[in-house]
Amino acid sequence: MSVTMQDHWYPVALASGLRRSARDTLLLGRAIRVALDDGGAPVVTAEGRALPVQVKFGHVWTTLGVPAGDVFDIPEADQPGRRLVEVGSVKVRCSPLRAVENFLDIAHFPFVHTDVLGSEPHTEVERYEVEIRDDVDEVWATKVKFFQPQAARSAQGGITTEYMYRVPGPTCSVLYKTCPPRPGEWDVITLFVQPLTETTCEVWPWMALFDDDSTMTEMIHFQQLIFLQDRSILENQLPALLPLDPGREIPTRADMLSIAYRRWLKRHGYTFGAQLVAA
Amino acid sequence: MSSNWTPVALSQDVLPGMAIPAHLQDQDLVVWRSATGRIAAWHDRCPHRGMRLSHGFVRGEFLSCIYHGWRYGEDGQCRKIPAHPELAPPAAIKVPRFAVCESAGVVWVAPEGETSEPVDLPGFRGFRSVAVNAAADQVARDVAGQGHLGGCDVVMLVQPLPGGDCGLHVLVADGCADAQLDALSHAIEALRRRLEQGVAA
Ligand code: FES
Ligand SMILES: [Fe+2]
Repeated sequence: MSVTMQDHWYPVALASGLRRSARDTLLLGRAIRVALDDGGAPVVTAEGRALPVQVKFGHVWTTLGVPAGDVFDIPEADQPGRRLVEVGSVKVRCSPLRAVENFLDIAHFPFVHTDVLGSEPHTEVERYEVEIRDDVDEVWATKVKFFQPQAARSAQGGITTEYMYRVPGPTCSVLYKTCPPRPGEWDVITLFVQPLTETTCEVWPWMALFDDDSTMTEMIHFQQLIFLQDRSILENQLPALLPLDPGREIPTRADMLSIAYRRWLKRHGYTFGAQLVAA
Repeated sequence: MSSNWTPVALSQDVLPGMAIPAHLQDQDLVVWRSATGRIAAWHDRCPHRGMRLSHGFVRGEFLSCIYHGWRYGEDGQCRKIPAHPELAPPAAIKVPRFAVCESAGVVWVAPEGETSEPVDLPGFRGFRSVAVNAAADQVARDVAGQGHLGGCDVVMLVQPLPGGDCGLHVLVADGCADAQLDALSHAIEALRRRLEQGVAA
C-alpha cells in the first residue's frame, strides 16, 4: 500500500504550550482536538477517535492514517551545546506546500529579508546540488551558498553562508546552515507545517542553534520577524495552490530545489494544497 | 458609457514610482507609473512564482517583483533575473498587458489591442475615488444623470469591482474654488454612505 499524505506525521501543538483546556484545530481539513490526559500526556482525537501521538522536537505530532515509522530524526539536533528554540506558531493563508517551498528558496533573501538574510547587489544564486535520496525518500539540496549581511542573531557583519536543505516529509523541511560561532558545525532551523486546509496552514518553526550570546527571546523574535516577512509573500501568490504541473510558472536554475520538491510531491501523490492540470 | 474602457484609478493616485492594485472586471491588475511618468496596466501576477506584482517596486522605467526581484520593462518583458545576473531572460518571460490611457485625470483600462478612445470629458478632472460597498449597476442607476454634488459640477464614473462592490470615481469641473472642493469631499462621503444604505441619491 502506498504512503499517502494522511499517513505522515504532522505537528499540531507545542508540547510545552498545552493546557488542560483543549486546542481545537484542523489537520488536512479534518477537525482534531489536542488535549492533555489526566496524567499530563498529550492526546489527539478526531471525532472522538484517538490518533497516534508522538512528542518530538518540542512538538506534539499526530497522523490521520497509518504511519510507516516514527517522526523523522534530526540527529544533529541531539548534539550537546545546542539551544533548542521553540518559536511557536504563525497562521498563514496559503497552501502548506507553498509555505514549505518558500522555506526552500534562497533567491528571495535580498528582496524579502533585505539587509538581514540578503542584500543587493549580492543576488546571485550559484549552482548547487539537488537529489532525491531514494533510500530515505527525502529531497536534499547541498552546496548552497549565499552572501548574507546578517545571517543569524549571532553573526557580525556579512558572510557567505553555506546551506543544506532537507525535506523529510511533504510539509516539513530542515535547513542546515553554517554556524558563525562554530566553524565546522551546522545550525539547524526547521519549518514544520501543519496543513489546516488546502489554502491555510499553521507554521511551527523550530531551531537547534549554537548561540551562547543571544537570549531566547531574541532568537525567537529574530525568527518571527523573518517569517512575518515570508508571510507577506505567501498570502499573495496566485494561484493559492502550488502548481505541480509545468506551465503555470517559470522556474530558472536557482529553482532546482523547488522543481525537485514539486516532482517529489507529484510522484507520491502528495497533492493536498497542490494544483494539477485538469485531466 | 458606450466605450470598452473602464476607469480603474485616478491619475493623481498613481504617482511616479508607484505600483497599485486595480481591477478590470474579475481580473486583478497592477497599475504602475515609471519615474518619467509612463503609466502601465498589467496582470497582477509575476510569471516566475505567481507573486502579485502590485506588491513590487518601481525603479526608473522598470517594475520589479518583490519576491525574487525579477525586473520587467514597459513592454512587460522580463529584463533581469537577479539570481542569474549574467543571464539574458528568455523572451517567453512576459507579463500580459492591458491597453491603458489617461484622460480627464482618470486611468482607463481596456483589453489589449483596444483601438477606440475612452469617452472624452473636456473641462473635468479626477478629484476623488471611493470604494462603495454596493452593486455597480445599482449605484450607476442611483447616480445617473446627477451632474452636481456639494455645489460643484461633477461627472461620476462607476466601476464594478470583484465581490459585488464598486468604485466611484468623481470628476470635478475645472475652476472650482478650494472651499467648494472641501464641500465636495464631504458630499462624496455622504453620498457613499447613502449608496451603501441603499437609499437613492
Ligand atoms: S515570483 Fe516574481 S520574481 Fe519570483
Ligand atoms: Fe524567507
